[in-house]
Amino acid sequence: MRTEDSEVRRTVVSRRAFLRATAISASAAVIAACGGAPTTRQPAPPPTAAPGVAAPTTAPAQVESTKQVTIEWFNRYTTPTTQEVLPLMIGEFEKQNPTIKVQYQNPGNGEGYIETLLSRIAGGNPPDVATLYEPPVEFAARGSLLAIDDYLQSARTARPDAIYEAPLKSCQWQGKTYGLPSSAGAAAVYVNTEMFREKGISFSRDTFPKTWDEIRALSREFVVIDNGQLQQAGFVPFGNSWIYPAWSAMNGGQLYDSAGTRYTLDSDANVAWLDYWVRWLNEDFGGDIEQLNVAGNWAGTYPETAFNLGRASMATEGSWSTTDAEIPFEFDVAKLPFGPGGNRSLTAFWPNWWVVPKGTTNPEAAFQLVEYIATTGWQIWYEYIMDTPSWKAFPPTVLTTRLVNAVGQEKAQDYNDFFANYLNDAVEMWTSPIETFANDTLGSAVGEVLAKRKSPKEALAEAQALCQAKLDETLKGQG
Amino acid sequence: MVTGVVETYWHLAPDRHAEDVMSNAVPSSGSQAGPSRRPVLSRQLRQDLRAYLFLSPWLVSLLVFTAYPMLASFYFALTRYNILNPPEFVGLANFDEMLRGDPLFWIAVYNTIYYTLISVPLGLAVSLGLAILLNFSVRGIGIYRTIFYLPSLVPVVASTLIWLVLLNPRLGLVNAGLEAIGLPRPGWLQSADWSKPGLILMSLWTGVGGAMLIFLAGLQDVPQSLVDAAMIDGANGWERFRHITLPLITPTIFFNLIMGIIGSFQVFGQVLVSGGSGGQVGPLNSLLMYLVLIYRNAFRFFNMGYASALALVLFLVLVLLTLLVVRTSNYWVYYEVGARK
Repeated sequence: MRTEDSEVRRTVVSRRAFLRATAISASAAVIAACGGAPTTRQPAPPPTAAPGVAAPTTAPAQVESTKQVTIEWFNRYTTPTTQEVLPLMIGEFEKQNPTIKVQYQNPGNGEGYIETLLSRIAGGNPPDVATLYEPPVEFAARGSLLAIDDYLQSARTARPDAIYEAPLKSCQWQGKTYGLPSSAGAAAVYVNTEMFREKGISFSRDTFPKTWDEIRALSREFVVIDNGQLQQAGFVPFGNSWIYPAWSAMNGGQLYDSAGTRYTLDSDANVAWLDYWVRWLNEDFGGDIEQLNVAGNWAGTYPETAFNLGRASMATEGSWSTTDAEIPFEFDVAKLPFGPGGNRSLTAFWPNWWVVPKGTTNPEAAFQLVEYIATTGWQIWYEYIMDTPSWKAFPPTVLTTRLVNAVGQEKAQDYNDFFANYLNDAVEMWTSPIETFANDTLGSAVGEVLAKRKSPKEALAEAQALCQAKLDETLKGQG
Repeated sequence: MVTGVVETYWHLAPDRHAEDVMSNAVPSSGSQAGPSRRPVLSRQLRQDLRAYLFLSPWLVSLLVFTAYPMLASFYFALTRYNILNPPEFVGLANFDEMLRGDPLFWIAVYNTIYYTLISVPLGLAVSLGLAILLNFSVRGIGIYRTIFYLPSLVPVVASTLIWLVLLNPRLGLVNAGLEAIGLPRPGWLQSADWSKPGLILMSLWTGVGGAMLIFLAGLQDVPQSLVDAAMIDGANGWERFRHITLPLITPTIFFNLIMGIIGSFQVFGQVLVSGGSGGQVGPLNSLLMYLVLIYRNAFRFFNMGYASALALVLFLVLVLLTLLVVRTSNYWVYYEVGARK
């Protein structure tokens, strides 16, 4: 006779059996997935032998094809302005290339974007084109991007010599090119000319301080301390870590040697750069970085920063800031000053990168989109957003409408020319396969130095050891 | 004895269970059914399969989206894995790097323990205090309860942005209030010393609502007869709380404590919004919490193997802490009147 107990026992046994079966299945799935998934990814055929498309011995845009292809572009832009611009750009591209349809989607912003992109690449189902804010070299060094050199050699507009050298180099790894920069906003010193006028100081680029010593002297003219608190400043150099490669280079240093694939963070020139900054902090800002940061946000030009609020007369930022930051007063731009170890102004830059992930089934159509956006297509973008093109042949008379409306045709043309010319003095940067790690590590080191937790020599030596170890590991294919 | 399993079974297939009862009462005759008509699966197995069929959406999702990633991450913890290439087995190298090669690991551990040690007890005390206040029968108590619960419904990004304004060292309301009563103005998120207290303050605002609600339910379960009896015996308010209410809500405290510990070790969203995940996370990495360290290794540094090792350590620490709390609960958690568990 069955009792309730036997009923229970039988049910328990059955569940146990079920769980055992599922556990075995799960383990098998895990083992299979761990061992197999990443290696089953089909590598994309080389561009010269892509199946179904002609080898790019001629310009890709000239290839006659009646086959309709749809390519997927991972779009990273979410602002209202970009939502206005993107359909125009893609519409124009599709008009010029009637056999290519572009599906663009935003798979998340910020780091969510990278999560999705990495997952898609790792899963063997990458988008045909992706926009990156991170250097393509990081992805290329890990074998996930398609080299586009063959396409570039036969490209109509995006030939390698048509792109500014440093921005193009930011896409190159071990002699191959893995993407194109559509823009490369150069960094500059933004100047509140109204504050200058109020102080009776005239502004002109020719007479603007050329050295760190000179800009410090000028900066002191604007310092206002009330009740022990810094209320107003001239120029505070310590923020905006993406400009550090230029600061280092302008003192005769270098952060990363791409030719020798080695970091040089703890060089004498870099130690001298940070020593100079510590003296600057001590002598001009009371020596306490925390108090300085509590007194205001001195980095950049965006709303809520001291510059934008009229509390700092100068600040560094990229070219995009001329329109993006909505600076509410009359301003001008000037070149970054150089340090005691340097002899000329150099600039940093931050591109929008466009890449073709390995595994795309439409490499040629994908490259055509990349080429279009990095050259002629950027005109539509640039009319809306002042983000300096990295294409040298970009028509110099195309200006950003918002900028023209804000500062007038002549001034807008002046800014346009200034930033485009300044790109010729851009430092080499974004070329390391561990760029993000190194930037974070250097940022922490500089923070510790300014907080007086470590000496420049000590902090840079530690950062150097960490970065070089990580780089070596990555070069061995382990990182 | 009717067990929980049988009860579950009843809920899932009451009709079939009724059939079973019937079939127990009147066993079917084998000779009548005949071997050719016997179903391939026994009735019980069919019933079980049907139950699991209904459970399968949850089970599949558990296996695919929770169990598999967990097991996979255990394996990845023993590999160098950059997501884009196949993992390479390296044994315990990631754990060695954690302990000896990564200076940020110890900073993240310190920050997280600091945050947990302060935010969990503080969160429990504040949510219990609010629950006690909201347990009084006063006019409009429902509105008060809603108001105090509302912050926990605000998305973490929105609430953090609000707090960034409130905690602005120069212009924020918090410092204005402190100055008004003659207290110094902390640098909050701009200060290495004050950033974690600032974060705890933020978390308190958004985090206490849920725990408060659970405490409120626990308080309403306290038998009024016991409170009344204590009152008749001459116990004052504090004594009634200390000797009647508090012991009777220890299961609720126990639950909120475990949830609080787990949650505090996984603080992430507020840090990401207020300190970012790149460069220094807060002044001198003072806001670099453990989960942020995992995140940036996984998705910023292409170091999923190391991130998995960090996640495994976090998992083990949480398991140990939970077991510890469960063990100690024998001494301080009362499940029934007058008797410990």
